Amino acid sequence: MNAVLKGIASLMLLLGLCAPAAAHKPSDSYLSLRREAGQLSGRWDIALRDLDSVFELDRNHDDRIDWGEVRTRRDEIDRYAKSRLSLSAGAACPLQIADHLIEQHSDGRYLVLLLQAPCAGDGALSVDYAALFDVDAQHRGLLKLELGDATVLSAVLSREQPRQTFQAGGASHWQAFAGYVRDGIFHIAIGYDHLLFLVALLLPAVLGRAGRAWQPVPSLSVAAVSVLKIVTAFTLAHSVTLSLATLGIVQIPARLTESIIALSVLLTAVDNLVPFLPARRWTVAFAFGLIHGFGFASVLADLELPRSALALSLVGFNVGVELGQLAVVAVLIPLAYLLRRSLLYQPVVLRGGSVAIGLLAAGWLAERSLDLKLMPF
Amino acid sequence: MPPSFLIAVAILLCSLAVGSAAAPYRPRSDSEVLETLPRSAQRGDSSAVRALRLLHARDPANLDIAVRLAQAQIAAARAASDPRLWGQAQATLAAWWEQAAAPVPVLLLRAAIRQNRHEFAAAQADLRRAIAEQPAHAQAWLDLASLQQATGDLAGAANSCEHVIGAGATAIGTVCRAGVDALTGAGAKAYRVLEDTIAQEGLAAQPAAVRTWALTLLAELAERLGRNGEADRWYRQSLAVDPADSYTLAAYADFLLDRRRAVEVTVLIAADTPIDSLLLRRAQADRLLGADTAQTGSDALAARFDALRQRGDNVHRREESRFRLALAQDPAAALELALQNWAVQKEPLDARIALEAALAAGRPEAATEVVRWVAESGLQDVRLDALLHPVPAR
Repeated sequence: MNAVLKGIASLMLLLGLCAPAAAHKPSDSYLSLRREAGQLSGRWDIALRDLDSVFELDRNHDDRIDWGEVRTRRDEIDRYAKSRLSLSAGAACPLQIADHLIEQHSDGRYLVLLLQAPCAGDGALSVDYAALFDVDAQHRGLLKLELGDATVLSAVLSREQPRQTFQAGGASHWQAFAGYVRDGIFHIAIGYDHLLFLVALLLPAVLGRAGRAWQPVPSLSVAAVSVLKIVTAFTLAHSVTLSLATLGIVQIPARLTESIIALSVLLTAVDNLVPFLPARRWTVAFAFGLIHGFGFASVLADLELPRSALALSLVGFNVGVELGQLAVVAVLIPLAYLLRRSLLYQPVVLRGGSVAIGLLAAGWLAERSLDLKLMPF
Repeated sequence: MPPSFLIAVAILLCSLAVGSAAAPYRPRSDSEVLETLPRSAQRGDSSAVRALRLLHARDPANLDIAVRLAQAQIAAARAASDPRLWGQAQATLAAWWEQAAAPVPVLLLRAAIRQNRHEFAAAQADLRRAIAEQPAHAQAWLDLASLQQATGDLAGAANSCEHVIGAGATAIGTVCRAGVDALTGAGAKAYRVLEDTIAQEGLAAQPAAVRTWALTLLAELAERLGRNGEADRWYRQSLAVDPADSYTLAAYADFLLDRRRAVEVTVLIAADTPIDSLLLRRAQADRLLGADTAQTGSDALAARFDALRQRGDNVHRREESRFRLALAQDPAAALELALQNWAVQKEPLDARIALEAALAAGRPEAATEVVRWVAESGLQDVRLDALLHPVPAR
């Protein structure tokens, strides 16, 4: 069925029935390059509309450009591209165009030139860009340069600033790793839902269940073991799903993930008031940790990682999340332990806190599942 | 099968087809249409313009040819709201672009291009230089008046309009002056003057662009004075002269949206309009109607604003602020953009979005400056009245 539909769809495309109306946008080309030992590779997307103003691709003046009108002009286009983009690292890196494809961008279709450039020097890379400025003085070349060590640099090349030089090394592996650790810590620090889930899980950790009531634990070591189990289970679970999602093995829509995360906070808070989940809290931490991992993964995806540095970033980000989490535990548990026998702990901290967390989580759940915006954060 | 069902199926299939094109692909045959260009006429590509382009390519330093080609490109850029055509006009003037003391016709065109890029100070310098050379240049004074009006220098704009009249362009100068008076507390009088001028035969002889300009000015003024029936009629008359004028379409769409006449907006503006400012209004209308296309339009706008930010442009803050407020539901970001926009542009729409965003973000005090400006200029606008009260005056 799917194949049939796609077949009809491409037929319609062929007939020009759904050539999308091109949005009006200033002229930009997208140049992405990757530098590896002795070699530059990448692609250069140039709008067909822009190529038309250089080459009059629309030979028959029917206000349409078809693949034939592009394909037969490849050699001219290649010569133009090579004369308008020069790359060098000490010595020149001669541009080769391996293939020509088409891609849809927001303002219409672009010709994709797949590039290769042997680049023996290991000095700073210079990019000299001169495409299209003579037909559109407001044209820009948007450059993304990926270096071997996972650093991604970007630059806007314009008529006023057509040349950019990039230092060879960029940031070191260690700096890149430290950057991802920081991102992880930052995310847990501003990810109120993950924090509150942990808090809701840990508030009763200084208590033990006696039937339907809570009893303060006798010693710190009992509390510590229970905290250790919970934190380890949560960490294991979210590390697994974070990896699966980042590697593209499992994918879940963000709205669903976010809704279930809110639900997990709500259920945990309710369980503090009226126990109904398994009494062994680490199992709860593990089960819900799985879904929180997908939440972390969507943040990591937004950071637009270079594929070559996936492992580095994945580990770095995860380490950051764990550090942030440990900081919360280090503050929360000693306080809770000291206060556990106080008259206020159970009614105010545990019950009051759980009610507050539960209400907040219910708000998130409504917001995320119904796609509303009700709350300030 | 009902036609609406067939259309729905077609849209679904197209989304599959275009969706599957989201990664680079190799077209299957030479006849596959990859791009539908804006119609030749919209690209300013009549045979006369094509001839000019060939002549210009052969002799790029010929002033007369370059000026005529750039004029055609700018006229087309305005008509179609297509930023690429502005860039092409700039390229046409390359031989003179860097010359401070360029010939007067180039100064005027360069000012227009710079104003479009919101380089207001540089644009003003070009116009002042042109006027210093030719003090009775009506077009230069008119362009200066419009620039001054956009940036909130209303006294300067009134003075420039007088110079347009002094240079002999009486009808245009009168419309120009009434347009400024309308913003400075003399709305009712300006309305009578505009009505009289439009009734005169002199204006009928003017090009369509001038008549559209005058009629839309009148419609906007009627709307600000709360004369809704008349505003509606003037907007329609203006669109009868030029049904594709994007400024008038946007203004009329706003008028309709304020009256929750969303269906009429969907008739006025196609869901796949290439023009950002119109797509914004269409998406707002779709949202009022609860139509699925609202999300599509909103996503497309988000992508376009993102693309503009990537290239380092910041000329769309007014539109983006409205987008953040009305569609993305992010009043804090909308306020930030509206205030940045207010720092450079001060037209009634700029005041309105700043006030709306400040109220929605729960920070009315952020718009104090706007309120002060509105009070000092004497601007009458029923749409602003309701917004002004909750904002503390300084």
